Amino acid sequence: MTSFILRRLALSVVLLFIISIISFFIVTLTPGSPYPWGELNPKISAEVKANFRKKFHLDRPLPEQYAFIMKDLFKGDLRSIKDDRPVMGKIMERLPATLALNFTAILISLSFGTLLGVYAARNAGRWQDIVCSFVAFLFIALPGFWISYLIAIILVKGFGVPILGTHSYGIAFPNHLAAYLDTIWHLLVPATILALGGIASQSRYLRATMIGTIREDYIRTARAKGLPEETVLYKHALRNSVRPLVTGIGLLLPALISGSVIIESIFAYPGMGRLGYEAVLERDYPTLVALNFVVAALVLLGNLLSDILYAAVDPRVRLE
Amino acid sequence: MRSIRLFLYGFPIGLLLLLGAAFLNASFLSVAKKNEMSIGTVGEASTLNPVQANDFHSGEALSLMFNGLIKYNQDLEIVGDLATSWDLSQETTLQFASEEDAANALAFFTNGISVQPPPPARPINGVFKKGKEVIITLKQPGLKESEDIFNALLASGCHPLPFPAIEPGSKERPFKAEPIIRFNLREGVRWHDGAPFTSADVAFTYRAIMDDKVASPRRSDFELVSSVATPDLHTVVVRYKKPFSPALLSWMGSILPEHILGKLDPSKWPVSYNRSPVGTGPFKFGSWKTNEFIRLVKNPDYFLGAPWLDSVVFRVLPDPLTLQLAFQTKQVDFWDVDPWAVKSMEKNPKFALFSSAGGMYLYMGWNLQRPLFQDLRIRQAVAKAVNIPQMIRCILYGRGIQSTGIFTPKMWFFNPSVKAIPYDPAAARALLDEAGWKMGRDGIRVKDGKRLSFTVITKNGDEIRRDIATLLQDDLKQVGIEVKVEIYEWSVLLSRFIGKRDFEAIVMGWALGNDYDQYAIWHSSQTHPEELNFIGYSNPKADRLLMELRQEYSRQEIIRIAGELQQTIYNDQPDLFLFVPESTSVMWKGAYRLRHPGQKSGEWIDSPIRMTKAGWGYDMEWFYRPEYPPTNPATQTIP
Repeated sequence: MTSFILRRLALSVVLLFIISIISFFIVTLTPGSPYPWGELNPKISAEVKANFRKKFHLDRPLPEQYAFIMKDLFKGDLRSIKDDRPVMGKIMERLPATLALNFTAILISLSFGTLLGVYAARNAGRWQDIVCSFVAFLFIALPGFWISYLIAIILVKGFGVPILGTHSYGIAFPNHLAAYLDTIWHLLVPATILALGGIASQSRYLRATMIGTIREDYIRTARAKGLPEETVLYKHALRNSVRPLVTGIGLLLPALISGSVIIESIFAYPGMGRLGYEAVLERDYPTLVALNFVVAALVLLGNLLSDILYAAVDPRVRLE
Repeated sequence: MRSIRLFLYGFPIGLLLLLGAAFLNASFLSVAKKNEMSIGTVGEASTLNPVQANDFHSGEALSLMFNGLIKYNQDLEIVGDLATSWDLSQETTLQFASEEDAANALAFFTNGISVQPPPPARPINGVFKKGKEVIITLKQPGLKESEDIFNALLASGCHPLPFPAIEPGSKERPFKAEPIIRFNLREGVRWHDGAPFTSADVAFTYRAIMDDKVASPRRSDFELVSSVATPDLHTVVVRYKKPFSPALLSWMGSILPEHILGKLDPSKWPVSYNRSPVGTGPFKFGSWKTNEFIRLVKNPDYFLGAPWLDSVVFRVLPDPLTLQLAFQTKQVDFWDVDPWAVKSMEKNPKFALFSSAGGMYLYMGWNLQRPLFQDLRIRQAVAKAVNIPQMIRCILYGRGIQSTGIFTPKMWFFNPSVKAIPYDPAAARALLDEAGWKMGRDGIRVKDGKRLSFTVITKNGDEIRRDIATLLQDDLKQVGIEVKVEIYEWSVLLSRFIGKRDFEAIVMGWALGNDYDQYAIWHSSQTHPEELNFIGYSNPKADRLLMELRQEYSRQEIIRIAGELQQTIYNDQPDLFLFVPESTSVMWKGAYRLRHPGQKSGEWIDSPIRMTKAGWGYDMEWFYRPEYPPTNPATQTIP
């Protein structure tokens, strides 16, 4: 187990290095170049522009620029072109919000996805199953931005409830509980929307494997033994059907991080998705490279975790 | 098994309960509002250092935290801010071959009456001789002022020696004309941390702007400063190398605290100062949560008195639709209304709307290096063929006016007598015929086997510009011109097309505020890569007017020259000048009132929020919520 983890970590380092090269060349070879002054501004002289390029080594050949960026990244002194602040600091201050949003979303998709999946499998072929399938496909098919706007408009225009940002503004909260609940509310709305696709896919995975498991001989044996249906389902069938869910978690993390760009913009949620999106528009190369690095590291970590979880839920799996 | 079931059902049910509780909490939240103003912005400030900031979003928050030496008042006249008063003057220095010649010249100016011809009528403050030099102090700066004196002296038979040029490679100067601005600073002003504000801060701000490590975008304004002297704690004397009238406006820029930044290396500013600045303004920095909000709190020691609001929060709401939703739930107090929504909101008695002719105009620029567009008749034909009033109706829902050149009606030097070219497709066809472009079989004109066709490029994400290109395409097709439209991301547009001058026509906008100096955009010397005359405009008359404008200090003369410049450029049609969109902001009616200091000291004027020449948000530091009324009595109340 330990040697497996160590080997995987070593492999991850090599992978990260390759990813950093590829991501650097993708962002720098994209047409366009950094221009931190917004609209054209007659006050910005050619001298100021040249000075700026020199400061961020933009006047050097690309391989040299890459070397500068990686050197600064490991020294912890890589600075953003936009505001000249250390990039890792910029990422770290957004990471908590992104993680809170994404883990809440994973939690929601897992809990509701499992419930729906079990329910659908139990009633396979009956109308309940059809309704569940319909709902699942609806969630998969709905574009995230559309459902976000729809929910935002309903909540705001219909109920007059504030939903933007991480908490309500300009309000004198009567007590701490109200303030906490308000923060939870601002987290749950975008997280639920973000989770819709996850609920759907989790429930479909689970339904499919569970229907397969129910047809297994040992389930028939369990039923023949006269065990109550509940025990058969939850103790024997469900336990042996959760493996795809674990794979799902590993796949969910990258999907959630990329999917949260739109949700974060619409709900004004200060996460990493927006940091990356804005950095792309501004061609903020240092931020982009560092961000890709962190996200890639998270994804590799997610895969490793899902492998370890595999071993935990399925004794037949050995990590060697 | 029980635990599995508990887990399976308990989790979703728990989440649903939590969601329900949070929803109820959110919908029953007390409406007791804090005494806080909330402003929504689509983008985030990049820095709160006024010398390094270059974006609009930083500017909004900075204007409440910092002061310049001077500012525009609500009628766009220049008034003191951190300076109580300022004097302009100009030293004209003449040098002579010998002390005797210098003495003669001095006599010419001092005993003017007895000398022929008499010295010029320009108001002279003083004359003195220093070795072989004679220094004449004029009350009014300006190149013409010194030229008049020089010419009078030549006529009297004195011949001064020339000075070397300022920029290497240019011509020698017959005399030195050095404008001087003397600022008398306000006393008793304190920085937010309690330290006194002095002339050292002003001198430091100048040094910081000129420091390469600071990389200030304001640098070009100060290139011509030769020295900034601080004779005492409350006096600053700025001397310039040559007359350059926009220089005065550059002192509207915010002043930095020397006692904090003076000993800090600029590479440390982004982390130590730029996200928690110390200024002199009515609001102090409070907190900044990245990409979420910047909160400013009131400065009880503000030199004009403490503002009424406890705090101001700038919220980042990147999505325009949700920004509107935030306004409707009163989560932000103001909203910049899109043109299509103005009419319905105007009718609603719950809202107060503030509209003004904007300070920005949209245009289609021609690449004048391409032979096709060098023919004035083609440019004029396009101007006549494009139905701009219809564009204003369709794109802006009537919320705009036709542009008549490089200035907009909001500016004090705008020339209202420039007449817009009327829509006249018949005349456009005649002009094209005259230029030799004959109608081809496919409905597109042809000359020497070439079709009259060009590509218009514009910026992605800007619906107004995209719609302009579409309507242009249709209008020009009617007269036999084919237009292709290509849309690029801003960063690509800049580096691949504008930067390399590789385009035929481009739809863009200029928003230049109240700056009459447009040398960088229109002068024929500014066509190199990176420079802003990217359309390649060149007209000797315009060049001369642009130069004169920079060297003129008198308000009347500036209005006259700027007017002539506007007409000259409009006649040349280097751009197809389109329209000036109106900008409209909306507030819940009665959400704020204004109580601001009047002209006399101790006078306070109470009024509803109103539109001024400087916009509705002028005096924002004196806004108050009626539920938190100001503590001082108003001497004058405007209902």
